[in-house]
Amino acid sequence: MFHKQELPHQLEKGRPSRESGEGATDMRLADLASESVIVCDAEGVIRYWNPAAEALYGWPALATIGQQMDELFAGHDLHAGHWRQLLQEGTWQGPVQRRTAAGLPLTVSIRQTVRYGASGVPHDVVEYGRGNQLAIVRDGMSERSEPYRATAACWELDMSEARASIEQIVALADGDVIGHLKRNPDRLDQLLSRSRIVNVNEKAVRLFGGNADREAMIARPILNYWPTECRHVLAELLVAVLTQLAWRITQTRALNASGSLQEASVAAWRSLDGSRADKIYLMVNGVVGDDRSAWELHASEDRYRKLIHHMPTALWQVDARPAGEVFERLRSEGVTDISSFLEAHPELIELAKDVVRVTEVNREAVSLLHGRNAADLVKPVRYLFAATPKLANRVMVAHFEGRRNYIEQAKVFTFDGQARDVVFSVTYPTPPEQLDTTFITMLDVTERLRTEAQLQRLEADHAHAARISTLGELATSIAHEVKQPLAAIVTNAETSLRWLSRDDFNIAKIRQLTTRIVSSAHRANDIIQRIRSLAARETPERVPLDLGDVAEEALFFVRHDIEFKRITLSINTAPSLAQVLGDRVQLQQVIVNLLVNSIQAVSQPGRPARRIWVSIEAIDGGAVLFSIRDSGPGIAEDNLNRIFESFFTTKVGGVGIGLAICQSIVRAHGGCIRASNHAGGGAHFWFSLPGMSSSTERPMESIGP
Amino acid sequence: MTARTIGLLSPPLIAVVDDDEAMRHALSELLEVIAMNCRTFERAEAFLASYAPGIFDCLVTDLRMPGMSGLELLRELKARNSSLPVIVVTSSTEPESRKQVVESGAFAYLIKPVSDERLIRYLKAALARMQ
Repeated sequence: MFHKQELPHQLEKGRPSRESGEGATDMRLADLASESVIVCDAEGVIRYWNPAAEALYGWPALATIGQQMDELFAGHDLHAGHWRQLLQEGTWQGPVQRRTAAGLPLTVSIRQTVRYGASGVPHDVVEYGRGNQLAIVRDGMSERSEPYRATAACWELDMSEARASIEQIVALADGDVIGHLKRNPDRLDQLLSRSRIVNVNEKAVRLFGGNADREAMIARPILNYWPTECRHVLAELLVAVLTQLAWRITQTRALNASGSLQEASVAAWRSLDGSRADKIYLMVNGVVGDDRSAWELHASEDRYRKLIHHMPTALWQVDARPAGEVFERLRSEGVTDISSFLEAHPELIELAKDVVRVTEVNREAVSLLHGRNAADLVKPVRYLFAATPKLANRVMVAHFEGRRNYIEQAKVFTFDGQARDVVFSVTYPTPPEQLDTTFITMLDVTERLRTEAQLQRLEADHAHAARISTLGELATSIAHEVKQPLAAIVTNAETSLRWLSRDDFNIAKIRQLTTRIVSSAHRANDIIQRIRSLAARETPERVPLDLGDVAEEALFFVRHDIEFKRITLSINTAPSLAQVLGDRVQLQQVIVNLLVNSIQAVSQPGRPARRIWVSIEAIDGGAVLFSIRDSGPGIAEDNLNRIFESFFTTKVGGVGIGLAICQSIVRAHGGCIRASNHAGGGAHFWFSLPGMSSSTERPMESIGP
Repeated sequence: MTARTIGLLSPPLIAVVDDDEAMRHALSELLEVIAMNCRTFERAEAFLASYAPGIFDCLVTDLRMPGMSGLELLRELKARNSSLPVIVVTSSTEPESRKQVVESGAFAYLIKPVSDERLIRYLKAALARMQ
């Protein structure tokens, strides 16, 4: 009677006619109608299906829009040719026998009206309907459940990814799909994780979505939303629908959910459109007197509990309403500076520690505080603040000020009396959220802090040891540096004494000699200070430095070696370089180390020219680059990528910590260090350090290593 | 080789080679107070450029210097068959260094800081040998 047409795709996905274009206002009104309202186009394809129609027939709009009316209600008692007659006459009225989505017979009084376009061609057909309630009761359907058809939660699923899972399950189940799925929960999860949500109605969002909205649910696996305890029912149903040969059979299963949903059922059917064979529609019906029903709460709470229970962060759920009430009272009394108020009324904080209660904790929380079980932790919050009493003030101040979060690093006591360092974070509820859910999370950072402190000490010790070792290598050079002024002092003093012991002593001469003694003594002192600073074991500190100055200071230690070994050293420092934030001694150490390596490399027997080139320049991004190249033999290719490893050395008697320490120092300064062989021969080392812009200037602070 | 006559009216001429200015100054002052003449050189190469047999009566030199070292200077003088007595004054205490210096024909090996008396004693001994 009606010729079947290709259905426009977008019509199958919702109610486009309600959302756009002509008639949108009519459709919004029809949504509110108590009668069922169905709109078909002139070909009999359903274009609109109101909530009352969902309630009457049990089919969600999602499942009906885009379908042929006579396919949906196959076998209803309208005579052949009814549609043609209707289009000609413009109106028809009378009772029809139809079936609900659950397959139950239903008598409906309908009124059909044709709307014509401007040229007199039929545009669409509007059908109003009223069901006969008695028929339902008579047919033995539960009296209670039928009026709640409107609560049907509808889903459209894309099963294309799940095909393989289903074939596997059917092959292995040996006829007992439910039993197989119960024995193989992995396969069950796999199937449901591959069953993707294409569309859901508002009811499904409200009932199953938890905190998710419709957009969030679409394209997600149904596994994420379906209640755990009846997953196997859904899986079996999906298998049954997809493996049955006939298109039109709707499969229905009872859901063994607890509480008032004992009588809920889920129905599933395939799309009537053969080109969409991978789409399955699901509809859940049940006794749901209230939108925020037991099932919804159960489903979302269940998910929520699982989520928090397995969270890797320790979590406390706290009912802080008593504190909120006190705050309200204080506000109404005109208190604005809560901080001072609490200082003046410490008893209020003590009270809050007893009346604000922990209502729930997760496994991680029990483990963090070394509790025996959750019950140990579900009590007034006082125990959370035992190790850091003032934290309670700050948490309350943040609450009063209406902040969303409060975070600080604090100490807590475990139940066996140990102090732990934690990052203590509070998330406050804000109306209209549930006011009884303040969350406290704690991240245990005790070990991390301890390890970091140890590591810093260890690295500083290493760096110090390496400096001493370097000074040892430079001992001859350093001894010479110190002895030189001392020798001059001794000789000048003795010469003065000789003048003094003579009759013709020359006072001007003695003054001159004494002045030279003073100057040499200062020089000796200066040298000793420099050595001391490199040998000292000071806590590293960061100050703004000119890398060029640091390099000059470093040169002092090797200057004599360079001169003695007749090495030509050229230094090229670019003008007006950015300062770097660093520890003077440690950066000197890096440069001395690199210089000593180069000196040793160029001094090897048989090197024709002894040259070292040093340059300090700016590079991209404001960084400062120190580069040193020598005319030595270079680094063996095999060693290039091991050269910064600890205890790697090619020197006879070397320990192999120099370059490793250089690397750890440079890294601790936010820079990097590299080694290569220069194209012109010899080794090439360079390191870069972040340059300071005026905004990054900071006061001195302690750093590692 | 023309030997220079040492007499009361002509004080001995001592060459001092040291890269350290303070040391050169100190040695020249000491030599002045004990009535010896002195010429100082910052580098061994500069001394060699001024050197000819018979000009100097004694050489006081450092060992560790930029460029030509004291040891190389000694070897150069030995190669030239110089009879100039050389007193090495150094901060180096290494036995190997002393051995090399002595083998290269140095008159004395003194370690800094050296007392004036000790230096003068060796200077006089060196001058006496020249005579």
